[in-house]
Amino acid sequence: MSAQHHELHLLTGSYALDALNHQEQASFERHLSRCPACAEEVRGMREAAARLGMATAVTPPAAMRARVLAAVPRTRQLPPGPAGGGRRAALRRLPLGRTGLGAGFLALAAAVAWLAVGQASTNDQLQQARASRDAVAAVLAAPDAHVATRTASVGGTVTAVISEREHEAVITTGGVPSLTAARVYQLWVITSGGTATSAGLLQATSPGLTSPALAAGVQAGDQLGITVEPAGGTRQPTTKPVVLVPVTD
Amino acid sequence: MDVVNTSAEHPEQPGPGHHKEGGGQDTAPLLAQVARGDQTAFETVYDQFAGPVYGLVRKVLRDPAQSEEVAQEVMLDVWRTASRFDPARGSATAWVMTIAHRRAIDRVRSESAATAREQKLTPDPVTGDDVAELVETALDRRRVRRCLGALTPLQSESVKLAYYGGYTYQQVAELLKVPLGTIKTRIRDGLIRLRDCMEVSL
Repeated sequence: MSAQHHELHLLTGSYALDALNHQEQASFERHLSRCPACAEEVRGMREAAARLGMATAVTPPAAMRARVLAAVPRTRQLPPGPAGGGRRAALRRLPLGRTGLGAGFLALAAAVAWLAVGQASTNDQLQQARASRDAVAAVLAAPDAHVATRTASVGGTVTAVISEREHEAVITTGGVPSLTAARVYQLWVITSGGTATSAGLLQATSPGLTSPALAAGVQAGDQLGITVEPAGGTRQPTTKPVVLVPVTD
Repeated sequence: MDVVNTSAEHPEQPGPGHHKEGGGQDTAPLLAQVARGDQTAFETVYDQFAGPVYGLVRKVLRDPAQSEEVAQEVMLDVWRTASRFDPARGSATAWVMTIAHRRAIDRVRSESAATAREQKLTPDPVTGDDVAELVETALDRRRVRRCLGALTPLQSESVKLAYYGGYTYQQVAELLKVPLGTIKTRIRDGLIRLRDCMEVSL
Protein backbone atom coordinates (compact mmCIF):
# COMPACT_ATOMS: atom_id res chain seq x y z
CA MET A 1 0.00 0.00 0.00
CA SER A 2 2.64 2.54 0.99
CA ALA A 3 4.60 2.16 -2.25
CA GLN A 4 1.41 2.51 -4.24
CA HIS A 5 0.35 5.43 -2.09
CA HIS A 6 3.69 7.10 -2.72
CA GLU A 7 3.28 6.56 -6.46
CA LEU A 8 -0.16 8.13 -6.39
CA HIS A 9 0.98 10.99 -4.23
CA LEU A 10 3.47 12.00 -6.93
CA LEU A 11 0.48 12.69 -9.18
CA THR A 12 -0.83 15.62 -7.11
CA GLY A 13 0.99 18.11 -9.36
CA SER A 14 -0.15 16.57 -12.63
CA TYR A 15 -3.70 16.34 -11.29
CA ALA A 16 -3.70 20.02 -10.24
CA LEU A 17 -2.64 20.94 -13.78
CA ASP A 18 -5.29 18.67 -15.38
CA ALA A 19 -2.42 16.70 -16.93
CA LEU A 20 -3.77 13.20 -16.17
CA ASN A 21 -5.74 11.18 -18.69
CA HIS A 22 -9.36 10.35 -17.83
CA GLN A 23 -8.61 6.96 -16.36
CA GLU A 24 -5.80 8.17 -14.12
CA GLN A 25 -7.89 11.14 -13.11
CA ALA A 26 -10.68 8.82 -11.98
CA SER A 27 -8.41 6.63 -9.90
CA PHE A 28 -6.57 9.64 -8.48
CA GLU A 29 -9.87 11.22 -7.44
CA ARG A 30 -10.77 7.99 -5.68
CA HIS A 31 -7.43 8.22 -3.88
CA LEU A 32 -7.99 11.91 -3.05
CA SER A 33 -11.22 11.20 -1.24
CA ARG A 34 -9.22 9.05 1.20
CA CYS A 35 -6.04 11.08 1.46
CA PRO A 36 -6.60 14.42 3.23
CA ALA A 37 -2.89 15.28 2.89
CA CYS A 38 -3.09 14.87 -0.90
CA ALA A 39 -6.28 16.93 -1.04
CA GLU A 40 -4.60 19.71 0.90
CA GLU A 41 -1.56 19.62 -1.36
CA VAL A 42 -3.74 19.73 -4.47
CA ARG A 43 -5.61 22.69 -3.04
CA GLY A 44 -2.44 24.75 -2.63
CA MET A 45 -1.29 23.73 -6.11
CA ARG A 46 -4.59 24.77 -7.66
CA GLU A 47 -4.09 28.21 -6.12
CA ALA A 48 -0.62 28.40 -7.64
CA ALA A 49 -1.91 27.21 -11.02
CA ALA A 50 -4.66 29.85 -10.87
CA ARG A 51 -1.93 32.51 -10.59
CA LEU A 52 -0.33 31.10 -13.73
CA GLY A 53 -3.74 31.49 -15.35
CA MET A 54 -4.33 35.03 -14.09
CA ALA A 55 -1.03 36.09 -15.65
CA THR A 56 -2.37 35.34 -19.13
CA ALA A 57 -5.17 37.90 -18.89
CA VAL A 58 -5.89 39.79 -22.08
CA THR A 59 -8.75 42.05 -23.11
CA PRO A 60 -11.63 39.75 -24.06
CA PRO A 61 -13.66 40.42 -27.20
CA ALA A 62 -16.24 43.11 -26.45
CA ALA A 63 -19.10 41.16 -28.04
CA MET A 64 -18.49 38.28 -25.63
CA ARG A 65 -19.73 40.30 -22.66
CA ALA A 66 -23.01 41.13 -24.35
CA ARG A 67 -23.54 37.53 -25.42
CA VAL A 68 -22.85 36.08 -21.98
CA LEU A 69 -24.99 38.65 -20.18
CA ALA A 70 -27.82 38.01 -22.64
CA ALA A 71 -27.60 34.27 -21.99
CA VAL A 72 -27.63 34.65 -18.20
CA PRO A 73 -31.35 35.36 -17.69
CA ARG A 74 -32.13 32.36 -19.91
CA THR A 75 -29.80 29.98 -18.04
CA ARG A 76 -31.08 28.03 -15.09
CA GLN A 77 -28.68 27.81 -12.14
CA LEU A 78 -27.75 24.60 -10.35
CA PRO A 79 -29.05 24.11 -6.82
CA PRO A 80 -26.43 23.87 -4.07
CA GLY A 81 -24.70 20.50 -4.12
CA PRO A 82 -21.26 18.90 -4.16
CA ALA A 83 -18.38 21.15 -5.12
CA GLY A 84 -16.25 20.66 -8.21
CA GLY A 85 -17.50 18.54 -11.05
CA GLY A 86 -16.04 20.24 -14.11
CA ARG A 87 -15.76 17.03 -16.09
CA ARG A 88 -19.08 15.72 -14.87
CA ALA A 89 -20.78 18.90 -15.95
CA ALA A 90 -19.42 18.41 -19.44
CA LEU A 91 -20.54 14.79 -19.57
CA ARG A 92 -23.98 15.52 -18.29
CA ARG A 93 -24.72 17.53 -21.38
CA LEU A 94 -24.70 14.43 -23.56
CA PRO A 95 -28.23 13.57 -24.55
CA LEU A 96 -29.61 10.49 -22.82
CA GLY A 97 -31.38 9.53 -26.01
CA ARG A 98 -28.10 8.42 -27.55
CA THR A 99 -27.61 5.51 -25.21
CA GLY A 100 -28.98 2.14 -26.07
CA LEU A 101 -30.32 1.65 -22.55
CA GLY A 102 -33.89 0.66 -21.91
CA ALA A 103 -36.10 3.49 -20.73
CA GLY A 104 -37.22 1.29 -17.86
CA PHE A 105 -33.73 0.94 -16.51
CA LEU A 106 -33.05 4.65 -16.82
CA ALA A 107 -36.23 5.45 -14.95
CA LEU A 108 -35.39 2.93 -12.25
CA ALA A 109 -31.84 4.20 -11.77
CA ALA A 110 -33.02 7.78 -11.70
CA ALA A 111 -35.77 6.97 -9.25
CA VAL A 112 -33.41 5.12 -6.94
CA ALA A 113 -30.92 7.97 -7.11
CA TRP A 114 -33.62 10.52 -6.33
CA LEU A 115 -34.88 8.32 -3.55
CA ALA A 116 -31.42 8.35 -2.00
CA VAL A 117 -31.45 12.13 -2.11
CA GLY A 118 -34.87 12.25 -0.53
CA GLN A 119 -33.90 9.86 2.24
CA ALA A 120 -30.74 11.69 3.25
CA SER A 121 -31.14 12.81 6.83
CA THR A 122 -27.95 14.80 7.24
CA ASN A 123 -26.24 17.33 5.00
CA ASP A 124 -23.34 14.95 4.46
CA GLN A 125 -25.65 12.20 3.34
CA LEU A 126 -27.43 14.66 1.07
CA GLN A 127 -24.16 15.74 -0.48
CA GLN A 128 -23.13 12.15 -1.03
CA ALA A 129 -26.48 11.26 -2.51
CA ARG A 130 -26.35 14.20 -4.91
CA ALA A 131 -22.78 13.42 -5.92
CA SER A 132 -23.78 9.86 -6.61
CA ARG A 133 -26.80 10.99 -8.61
CA ASP A 134 -24.63 13.26 -10.79
CA ALA A 135 -22.05 10.54 -11.30
CA VAL A 136 -24.77 8.06 -12.22
CA ALA A 137 -26.22 10.51 -14.73
CA ALA A 138 -22.79 10.92 -16.34
CA VAL A 139 -22.30 7.19 -16.88
CA LEU A 140 -25.85 6.71 -18.14
CA ALA A 141 -25.27 9.52 -20.61
CA ALA A 142 -22.06 8.02 -22.04
CA PRO A 143 -22.70 7.09 -25.67
CA ASP A 144 -21.05 3.68 -25.30
CA ALA A 145 -22.86 2.69 -22.09
CA HIS A 146 -24.16 -0.88 -22.01
CA VAL A 147 -26.12 -2.88 -19.44
CA ALA A 148 -25.12 -6.19 -17.88
CA THR A 149 -27.35 -8.07 -15.44
CA ARG A 150 -26.35 -11.07 -13.31
CA THR A 151 -28.11 -13.08 -10.62
CA ALA A 152 -26.36 -12.97 -7.26
CA SER A 153 -25.58 -16.30 -5.55
CA VAL A 154 -27.42 -15.04 -2.46
CA GLY A 155 -30.50 -14.17 -4.50
CA GLY A 156 -31.60 -10.98 -6.24
CA THR A 157 -30.11 -9.34 -9.29
CA VAL A 158 -27.23 -6.99 -9.84
CA THR A 159 -27.34 -4.62 -12.78
CA ALA A 160 -24.36 -2.66 -14.04
CA VAL A 161 -24.32 0.14 -16.59
CA ILE A 162 -20.80 0.25 -17.94
CA SER A 163 -19.03 2.82 -20.02
CA GLU A 164 -15.64 1.49 -21.07
CA ARG A 165 -14.80 4.82 -22.63
CA GLU A 166 -15.42 6.69 -19.40
CA HIS A 167 -13.89 3.83 -17.42
CA GLU A 168 -16.83 3.94 -15.07
CA ALA A 169 -19.76 1.74 -14.14
CA VAL A 170 -22.93 2.22 -12.12
CA ILE A 171 -24.17 -0.73 -10.11
CA THR A 172 -27.68 -1.17 -8.79
CA THR A 173 -29.18 -4.17 -7.06
CA GLY A 174 -32.70 -5.48 -6.71
CA GLY A 175 -33.96 -8.09 -4.27
CA VAL A 176 -30.60 -8.93 -2.68
CA PRO A 177 -31.04 -10.08 0.96
CA SER A 178 -30.76 -7.39 3.62
CA LEU A 179 -27.74 -7.75 5.91
CA THR A 180 -27.45 -7.33 9.65
CA ALA A 181 -25.87 -4.12 10.91
CA ALA A 182 -22.55 -5.94 11.28
CA ARG A 183 -22.22 -6.72 7.56
CA VAL A 184 -22.11 -4.71 4.35
CA TYR A 185 -22.02 -5.34 0.63
CA GLN A 186 -18.75 -4.04 -0.79
CA LEU A 187 -18.11 -3.36 -4.45
CA TRP A 188 -14.78 -4.20 -6.13
CA VAL A 189 -13.11 -3.64 -9.44
CA ILE A 190 -11.18 -6.83 -10.12
CA THR A 191 -8.55 -6.92 -12.85
CA SER A 192 -7.95 -9.95 -15.07
CA GLY A 193 -4.84 -10.53 -12.95
CA GLY A 194 -7.04 -10.83 -9.86
CA THR A 195 -6.14 -7.53 -8.19
CA ALA A 196 -9.17 -6.09 -6.39
CA THR A 197 -9.66 -2.40 -5.70
CA SER A 198 -12.53 -1.31 -3.50
CA ALA A 199 -15.14 0.87 -5.19
CA GLY A 200 -16.96 1.51 -1.93
CA LEU A 201 -19.87 0.10 0.00
CA LEU A 202 -23.39 -0.39 -1.31
CA GLN A 203 -25.77 1.73 0.73
CA ALA A 204 -29.10 0.08 1.43
CA THR A 205 -31.93 2.54 0.80
CA SER A 206 -34.77 0.17 1.66
CA PRO A 207 -35.01 -3.61 2.07
CA GLY A 208 -33.64 -5.31 -1.03
CA LEU A 209 -32.55 -2.08 -2.70
CA THR A 210 -29.23 -0.25 -2.72
CA SER A 211 -28.53 3.21 -4.06
CA PRO A 212 -26.58 3.27 -7.34
CA ALA A 213 -22.86 2.86 -6.70
CA LEU A 214 -20.16 4.19 -8.97
CA ALA A 215 -17.03 2.23 -9.81
CA ALA A 216 -14.26 4.31 -11.38
CA GLY A 217 -11.07 3.21 -13.10
CA VAL A 218 -12.85 0.35 -14.85
CA GLN A 219 -11.01 -1.20 -17.80
CA ALA A 220 -11.79 -3.74 -20.48
CA GLY A 221 -11.24 -7.24 -19.12
CA ASP A 222 -12.01 -6.24 -15.53
CA GLN A 223 -14.85 -7.67 -13.49
CA LEU A 224 -17.09 -5.93 -11.01
CA GLY A 225 -17.57 -8.01 -7.90
CA ILE A 226 -19.64 -7.71 -4.73
CA THR A 227 -18.63 -9.37 -1.47
CA VAL A 228 -20.14 -9.45 2.01
CA GLU A 229 -17.75 -7.78 4.45
CA PRO A 230 -17.70 -6.61 8.07
CA ALA A 231 -19.36 -3.21 8.63
CA GLY A 232 -17.12 -0.41 7.41
CA GLY A 233 -15.68 -2.54 4.65
CA THR A 234 -12.22 -4.04 4.17
CA ARG A 235 -9.19 -3.22 2.08
CA GLN A 236 -9.22 -6.52 0.26
CA PRO A 237 -12.09 -8.94 -0.25
CA THR A 238 -12.29 -11.48 2.60
CA THR A 239 -15.14 -13.56 1.17
CA LYS A 240 -16.03 -15.08 -2.18
CA PRO A 241 -17.95 -12.62 -4.39
CA VAL A 242 -21.72 -13.14 -4.41
CA VAL A 243 -21.71 -11.90 -7.97
CA LEU A 244 -19.21 -11.11 -10.74
CA VAL A 245 -20.13 -8.89 -13.67
CA PRO A 246 -17.70 -8.77 -16.60
CA VAL A 247 -16.99 -5.24 -17.83
CA THR A 248 -16.73 -6.29 -21.47
CA ASP A 249 -19.82 -8.02 -22.80
CA MET B 1 6.25 29.74 -24.10
CA ASP B 2 6.91 32.87 -22.15
CA VAL B 3 3.69 34.21 -20.75
CA VAL B 4 5.13 36.77 -18.54
CA ASN B 5 6.15 39.71 -20.54
CA THR B 6 5.92 43.21 -19.27
CA SER B 7 7.67 46.14 -20.85
CA ALA B 8 8.82 47.83 -17.68
CA GLU B 9 9.90 46.67 -14.26
CA HIS B 10 8.07 48.16 -11.34
CA PRO B 11 8.21 47.36 -7.67
CA GLU B 12 5.47 44.93 -6.82
CA GLN B 13 2.70 47.00 -5.46
CA PRO B 14 -0.87 46.96 -6.53
CA GLY B 15 -2.12 50.03 -8.35
CA PRO B 16 -5.27 51.83 -7.35
CA GLY B 17 -8.34 49.67 -7.53
CA HIS B 18 -6.29 46.52 -7.91
CA HIS B 19 -8.26 43.57 -6.66
CA LYS B 20 -6.74 41.90 -3.67
CA GLU B 21 -4.45 38.90 -4.31
CA GLY B 22 -5.22 38.79 -7.99
CA GLY B 23 -8.98 38.87 -7.63
CA GLY B 24 -9.60 36.10 -5.13
CA GLN B 25 -10.51 37.33 -1.71
CA ASP B 26 -13.28 39.76 -2.52
CA THR B 27 -15.00 37.51 -4.99
CA ALA B 28 -16.26 34.80 -2.64
CA PRO B 29 -19.19 36.87 -1.25
CA LEU B 30 -20.00 38.00 -4.79
CA LEU B 31 -20.25 34.38 -5.92
CA ALA B 32 -22.68 33.71 -3.08
CA GLN B 33 -24.84 36.53 -4.43
CA VAL B 34 -24.53 35.13 -7.96
CA ALA B 35 -25.68 31.75 -6.63
CA ARG B 36 -28.87 33.47 -5.44
CA GLY B 37 -29.52 34.75 -8.96
CA ASP B 38 -28.07 38.26 -8.61
CA GLN B 39 -27.26 39.31 -12.18
CA THR B 40 -25.60 42.58 -11.14
CA ALA B 41 -23.18 40.65 -8.95
CA PHE B 42 -22.51 38.38 -11.92
CA GLU B 43 -21.59 41.38 -14.08
CA THR B 44 -18.94 42.33 -11.51
CA VAL B 45 -17.62 38.78 -11.47
CA TYR B 46 -17.65 38.77 -15.26
CA ASP B 47 -15.61 41.96 -15.45
CA GLN B 48 -13.13 40.59 -12.94
CA PHE B 49 -12.57 37.25 -14.67
CA ALA B 50 -13.43 37.54 -18.37
CA GLY B 51 -9.88 38.76 -19.14
CA PRO B 52 -8.02 36.01 -17.29
CA VAL B 53 -10.46 33.34 -18.48
CA TYR B 54 -10.23 34.39 -22.12
CA GLY B 55 -6.46 34.79 -21.80
CA LEU B 56 -5.95 31.32 -20.35
CA VAL B 57 -8.30 29.57 -22.77
CA ARG B 58 -6.62 31.32 -25.67
CA LYS B 59 -3.19 30.46 -24.34
CA VAL B 60 -4.14 26.79 -24.39
CA LEU B 61 -6.28 26.63 -27.53
CA ARG B 62 -4.57 29.32 -29.66
CA ASP B 63 -7.52 29.67 -32.01
CA PRO B 64 -9.30 32.99 -31.24
CA ALA B 65 -12.78 31.95 -32.40
CA GLN B 66 -12.68 28.66 -30.52
CA SER B 67 -11.27 30.40 -27.47
CA GLU B 68 -14.07 32.91 -27.42
CA GLU B 69 -16.63 30.14 -27.61
CA VAL B 70 -15.01 28.22 -24.75
CA ALA B 71 -14.48 31.36 -22.62
CA GLN B 72 -18.19 32.14 -23.00
CA GLU B 73 -19.07 28.64 -21.83
CA VAL B 74 -16.78 29.10 -18.84
CA MET B 75 -18.37 32.40 -17.80
CA LEU B 76 -21.83 30.86 -18.16
CA ASP B 77 -20.62 27.91 -16.07
CA VAL B 78 -19.66 30.38 -13.37
CA TRP B 79 -23.22 31.70 -13.39
CA ARG B 80 -24.76 28.24 -13.58
CA THR B 81 -22.67 26.52 -10.94
CA ALA B 82 -21.98 29.41 -8.52
CA SER B 83 -23.86 27.52 -5.79
CA ARG B 84 -21.20 24.79 -5.94
CA PHE B 85 -18.40 27.20 -5.01
CA ASP B 86 -17.24 26.47 -1.48
CA PRO B 87 -14.85 29.06 0.00
CA ALA B 88 -13.62 26.44 2.49
CA ARG B 89 -12.13 24.46 -0.40
CA GLY B 90 -10.16 27.23 -2.08
CA SER B 91 -10.30 30.78 -3.40
CA ALA B 92 -12.80 32.08 -5.93
CA THR B 93 -9.91 32.71 -8.29
CA ALA B 94 -8.80 29.09 -8.13
CA TRP B 95 -12.40 27.95 -8.62
CA VAL B 96 -12.99 30.06 -11.73
CA MET B 97 -9.57 29.39 -13.25
CA THR B 98 -9.96 25.65 -12.67
CA ILE B 99 -13.24 25.68 -14.58
CA ALA B 100 -11.55 27.64 -17.38
CA HIS B 101 -8.56 25.32 -17.57
CA ARG B 102 -10.66 22.15 -17.51
CA ARG B 103 -12.93 23.45 -20.25
CA ALA B 104 -9.94 24.35 -22.38
CA ILE B 105 -8.38 20.95 -21.74
CA ASP B 106 -11.63 19.16 -22.59
CA ARG B 107 -11.59 20.97 -25.91
CA VAL B 108 -7.91 20.18 -26.55
CA ARG B 109 -8.42 16.50 -25.87
CA SER B 110 -11.48 16.20 -28.08
CA GLU B 111 -10.30 14.98 -31.43
CA SER B 112 -11.61 17.74 -33.65
CA ALA B 113 -9.69 20.33 -31.70
CA ALA B 114 -6.57 18.18 -31.82
CA THR B 115 -6.40 18.35 -35.59
CA ALA B 116 -7.15 22.07 -35.62
CA ARG B 117 -4.33 22.59 -33.15
CA GLU B 118 -1.82 20.61 -35.14
CA GLN B 119 -2.01 23.18 -37.88
CA LYS B 120 -0.84 25.77 -35.39
CA LEU B 121 2.08 23.96 -33.88
CA THR B 122 4.43 26.93 -33.82
CA PRO B 123 4.28 28.40 -30.35
CA ASP B 124 3.34 32.05 -30.44
CA PRO B 125 4.92 34.07 -27.69
CA VAL B 126 2.54 36.44 -25.99
CA THR B 127 4.61 39.33 -27.34
CA GLY B 128 3.46 38.50 -30.84
CA ASP B 129 -0.21 38.34 -29.93
CA ASP B 130 -2.64 40.86 -31.27
CA VAL B 131 -4.43 40.97 -27.94
CA ALA B 132 -3.75 43.50 -25.23
CA GLU B 133 -2.53 42.37 -21.87
CA LEU B 134 -4.52 43.74 -18.99
CA VAL B 135 -2.86 46.39 -16.88
CA GLU B 136 -4.71 45.12 -13.80
CA THR B 137 -2.87 41.82 -13.94
CA ALA B 138 0.62 43.24 -14.39
CA LEU B 139 1.32 42.36 -10.78
CA ASP B 140 0.33 38.73 -11.39
CA ARG B 141 2.55 38.58 -14.45
CA ARG B 142 5.58 39.93 -12.62
CA ARG B 143 5.08 37.56 -9.74
CA VAL B 144 4.58 34.56 -12.00
CA ARG B 145 7.65 35.44 -14.02
CA ARG B 146 9.75 35.83 -10.90
CA CYS B 147 8.51 32.57 -9.39
CA LEU B 148 8.84 30.55 -12.60
CA GLY B 149 12.37 31.92 -12.85
CA ALA B 150 13.15 30.48 -9.43
CA LEU B 151 12.43 26.91 -10.62
CA THR B 152 14.93 24.61 -12.28
CA PRO B 153 14.65 24.77 -16.08
CA LEU B 154 13.10 21.28 -16.20
CA GLN B 155 10.55 22.08 -13.48
CA SER B 156 9.57 25.31 -15.18
CA GLU B 157 9.34 23.77 -18.64
CA SER B 158 7.25 20.81 -17.42
CA VAL B 159 4.80 23.01 -15.53
CA LYS B 160 4.41 25.39 -18.47
CA LEU B 161 3.92 22.63 -21.04
CA ALA B 162 1.34 20.91 -18.85
CA TYR B 163 -0.60 24.02 -17.85
CA TYR B 164 -0.30 26.38 -20.81
CA GLY B 165 0.29 23.69 -23.39
CA GLY B 166 -2.54 21.48 -22.18
CA TYR B 167 -0.40 18.34 -22.45
CA THR B 168 -0.70 15.28 -20.24
CA TYR B 169 2.40 14.51 -18.20
CA GLN B 170 3.07 11.57 -20.51
CA GLN B 171 3.12 13.93 -23.49
CA VAL B 172 5.34 16.33 -21.56
CA ALA B 173 7.77 13.50 -20.85
CA GLU B 174 7.84 12.61 -24.52
CA LEU B 175 8.33 16.21 -25.64
CA LEU B 176 11.19 16.77 -23.20
CA LYS B 177 12.68 13.27 -23.69
CA VAL B 178 12.64 12.65 -19.96
CA PRO B 179 11.40 9.50 -18.13
CA LEU B 180 7.79 9.56 -16.90
CA GLY B 181 8.75 9.28 -13.23
CA THR B 182 11.05 12.27 -13.53
CA ILE B 183 8.33 14.43 -15.08
CA LYS B 184 5.79 13.51 -12.38
CA THR B 185 8.29 14.54 -9.73
CA ARG B 186 9.38 17.72 -11.52
CA ILE B 187 5.81 18.89 -12.03
CA ARG B 188 5.01 18.25 -8.39
CA ASP B 189 8.19 19.83 -7.01
CA GLY B 190 7.82 22.76 -9.39
CA LEU B 191 4.25 23.44 -8.29
CA ILE B 192 5.17 23.21 -4.62
CA ARG B 193 7.92 25.75 -5.15
CA LEU B 194 5.60 27.97 -7.15
CA ARG B 195 3.02 27.78 -4.40
CA ASP B 196 5.55 28.74 -1.76
CA CYS B 197 7.05 31.47 -3.90
CA MET B 198 3.71 33.07 -4.60
CA GLU B 199 2.99 32.96 -0.89
CA VAL B 200 -0.46 31.75 -1.62
CA SER B 201 -2.57 32.18 1.47
CA LEU B 202 -4.78 29.23 2.17
